[in-house]
Amino acid sequence: MTSSVVTSGLTKRFGQRLAVDAVDIDLPAGVVSGFVGPNGAGKTTTIQLLLGLCRPTSGTAEVLGRPISDPASYLGRVGALIEAPSFYPTLSGRRNLEVLTRLGRIDSGRISEVLAMVELSDRGNDFVRAYSLGMKQRLGVAAALLPDPELCILDEPTNGLDPAGIREMRSVIRGLSDRGISVFVSSHLLAEIEAICDHLVMIDNGRIVFQGGVDKLIDAQQSDIIASPEHPADVQALAELCIAAGKPARAEQGEVHVQAPEDWAPELNRQAMAAGITLRGLTVRRASLEEAFFAITEGQSDENGEAG
Amino acid sequence: MFGAYSSEWIKLRRRAMLLWGLGGGLFFAVLATIFTVERAVKNPSLFPLRRGRVTFAELELPTGLVHGVVDVSTLIGIVALCLFAGAFATEYSQGTLRNLLVREPRRAQLLTGKFLALATFIGVAVVLEIVVSCGVALLLAPGRGITTSAWTSATGINDLLQATLHVFLASVGYGLLGAAAGVLLRSPGVAIGASVAYVIPVEAIIVGAIWSNGDRWLPGQLLSALAHGGTGDSSYHHSLITLAVYMVLIAVGTLAVFRRRDAS
Repeated sequence: MTSSVVTSGLTKRFGQRLAVDAVDIDLPAGVVSGFVGPNGAGKTTTIQLLLGLCRPTSGTAEVLGRPISDPASYLGRVGALIEAPSFYPTLSGRRNLEVLTRLGRIDSGRISEVLAMVELSDRGNDFVRAYSLGMKQRLGVAAALLPDPELCILDEPTNGLDPAGIREMRSVIRGLSDRGISVFVSSHLLAEIEAICDHLVMIDNGRIVFQGGVDKLIDAQQSDIIASPEHPADVQALAELCIAAGKPARAEQGEVHVQAPEDWAPELNRQAMAAGITLRGLTVRRASLEEAFFAITEGQSDENGEAG
Repeated sequence: MFGAYSSEWIKLRRRAMLLWGLGGGLFFAVLATIFTVERAVKNPSLFPLRRGRVTFAELELPTGLVHGVVDVSTLIGIVALCLFAGAFATEYSQGTLRNLLVREPRRAQLLTGKFLALATFIGVAVVLEIVVSCGVALLLAPGRGITTSAWTSATGINDLLQATLHVFLASVGYGLLGAAAGVLLRSPGVAIGASVAYVIPVEAIIVGAIWSNGDRWLPGQLLSALAHGGTGDSSYHHSLITLAVYMVLIAVGTLAVFRRRDAS
């Protein structure tokens, strides 16, 4: 599979602060890749490096096969929404997009198309100062779509959107992917990324802590098996049975939470039956992306702590 | 570069730009013309303390038609300076520069195209100011008994065109100072405040209290001399050549900063 973005040792230092620390990223083309991490982790700086807005302190990167030292060679095929969308408040949404089409020599016919894609056609002639934050965000996505890009880089596109707007944004991003456009979308909302991404890059304190398929990440995390005995009096005995089998378990509100792989659930059922405990419920709860993220970052902190 | 030039014109056609960019200069030009013509004195011996009033004899010269506009050319230049400083600094403060750089990553082309669009706008403004001011002067002069035949002579038309060129060049020079302040300081308020403060009071204090010969070398003084077609202290050619050197240095420095600085 070809790559849309490849970085090698990409580093950006602002004075004493290391914002991006030797980042190696390889994004597959044609899929939605998520870029997650807490605020201040280095997501926006990495995106700005990829867009040629700031220069790396060291390291190299290629976007669509072209080096970031020559942004003019690839930005015509890239659409971008960078952090909070910024527009001229006393120009209409349509006029704001016209500023960009003229600058980038893009067919002005695209303006109506992209306004329709983000459902702003009926407000396109209003001044941007009259737009809500959500509308500005959608206009930002429209601006990113203007060049009919091969790669779309969206920095926190769901910021300020209401639940309906978030759902629409997911649909827009999925639509881009369906058309074969590579999407690199950053967010600090992990559940949001989990819902729309195939591939994932996790960053914390400027360093990449994971990259790969979303399923691969979640599958690697320990799942919880939740067993509910028919009689509450059996909860403690069931927990002890699991511990005796080498699986950490705790009794909690009439249920036993067991840290074990998903495929141990039938074995638990058999052992409970053999011990005379009837289960009225047995469910497997897979780790969420958020839990996976914290498991990884806490693991890294521990390693760093031990190393230090 | 044409893309940057063309896209800048969308912003220049905003109502606020037309009001302050065109209206501001027009206001000063018309006001100065009315004052010049209406306060002109026929017999200077009756007004030993003329306090800046021109005489009928001065106004009846071929250069008399644009006397008022040239007198306020510094103010017209200050309007240009504010316009340029605001146009460049606002792109940073509003965050719109990032959008522009994604669509036009060739920074030299972006900066040059934007500057040329603003210079064209100032050119249109200067021509409009001079045309309206000439109309006002031609309308008021006969009523005061001022003879205007020299204004429409071949020499008068030539002086008019030269004055237009001088005021335009000086305004673009003020604009370049504003553009440099906008790029360096990145805040419209700070850029406009600092550059206006430098051009008006700071240079006046330097010339008045520290360096009496400074009016031959300081950029603001030279721009004023250029707009007037040269003064007793600083000839037109001296002003033009010295300013050309300054402007090239300022343009190269501004471009270097704009190209190298992160737009984050």
